[in-house]
Amino acid sequence: MPDQPGNICGRGRSMLRFADALLRIQGATQVTLRLADPATGDTGSQLGLEAPASEDLPISPAVVKPLTPMADGRRRFEVVVGASSLRPIAKLYGVEDLSAWLIAMTGMLMHGALLRIDTVSIDQFAGTDCLFHLTATE
Amino acid sequence: MQPTKDSFYVALRDRLVIVDPNRTVTLDGVTRPAIAVLENEPPTGAPPLCDTFYLHWGNLRPADLAAGTLMTLDCTISYCTKGTMQNSSLDRGRDLASLDNDLIAICAPPQTAKNDYSSGSPVSLGSNIFWTQPVLNAAKATPPYTGREVIVTVFFYPEVNQS
Repeated sequence: MPDQPGNICGRGRSMLRFADALLRIQGATQVTLRLADPATGDTGSQLGLEAPASEDLPISPAVVKPLTPMADGRRRFEVVVGASSLRPIAKLYGVEDLSAWLIAMTGMLMHGALLRIDTVSIDQFAGTDCLFHLTATE
Repeated sequence: MQPTKDSFYVALRDRLVIVDPNRTVTLDGVTRPAIAVLENEPPTGAPPLCDTFYLHWGNLRPADLAAGTLMTLDCTISYCTKGTMQNSSLDRGRDLASLDNDLIAICAPPQTAKNDYSSGSPVSLGSNIFWTQPVLNAAKATPPYTGREVIVTVFFYPEVNQS
C-alpha cells in the first residue's frame, strides 16, 4: 500500500526548501543569535559575578519584521528563520527541542543591541517543523 | 546590601544541599541545588523551572527609628510544581508540600554570618544577618501547575564602605 501523504519520501525536505524559498522571496537577511556557554556552576556564577562566555551564531535566511513597540517605547521585532538553517547548528550542540533552546538563548543581536527572545512559535508544513517565529524585545 | 543578599542565598543553598540533596536543577547547563536568585540569572525569556526556589529581592527600608541603622530587605521566594507524569500530575499537591517543607527547613535557624563574596571567595564581615519566619501565601493553581510565594524579611546592618 502506498505511503500516506505524510510519509512520502522527501516530502519533508521539499517543505523545508519551500520554507526557505518563502524567506528569500520576502527579502532574506541574516540574524545573529547569542548563545551562552554552560556556566561554571560555582558560587561566583550563581551570584552573578562571572558572566559565562558566549558564542554568536549567524543564521540565514531570515526575515525581520518590526512589531508595534511596547507601551514603554521598547522596540519589538518578529524574526522568522527556517528550520533548515537552525537544525544543523542545533545538532552541533546536541539539541533536539529547538523551541526551548531558542528561548533560553541570551538573545538576538540586532542594530547593535542585544534583544531578548520572548516567544517562539513554529509553522509546520506537512507535519514538518519548517519556520520558527521569534519575538524579540529590546 | 549586596553581602546580605549573597549571604542569604548561599546560606539557603548550602542548607538545601543537606536537607534535600536530591532537589537539584539544571540551569545554564549545570546541575546545582534547586535554588536561584532571579536577578543573577541570564535575562532570557525562558519560563521559571518547576521544583526550584527563585529568590526575588524587594523593598529595602530602615527597620525602625529606635533600631539605629538596622535595615530590612524583603525577599519573595517563589516556586511551583506540576507533580509527576507517572501520576498524571495528581501528586502536585504533595510535591508542593514537599517544597514547603524544604523551604521551612532551610530557613531555620533564621540567621547566618554575613560575608562579602565580591572577590569570589567569602570574606567574613564580622556580623550576622537574620530574618523573619517565612510567611507562606496561599497556593496559586494554574493547572497543571500549583505554586506559591513566600515572604521573608531579612534584617542587616549596612557595612561601612559596602554597597
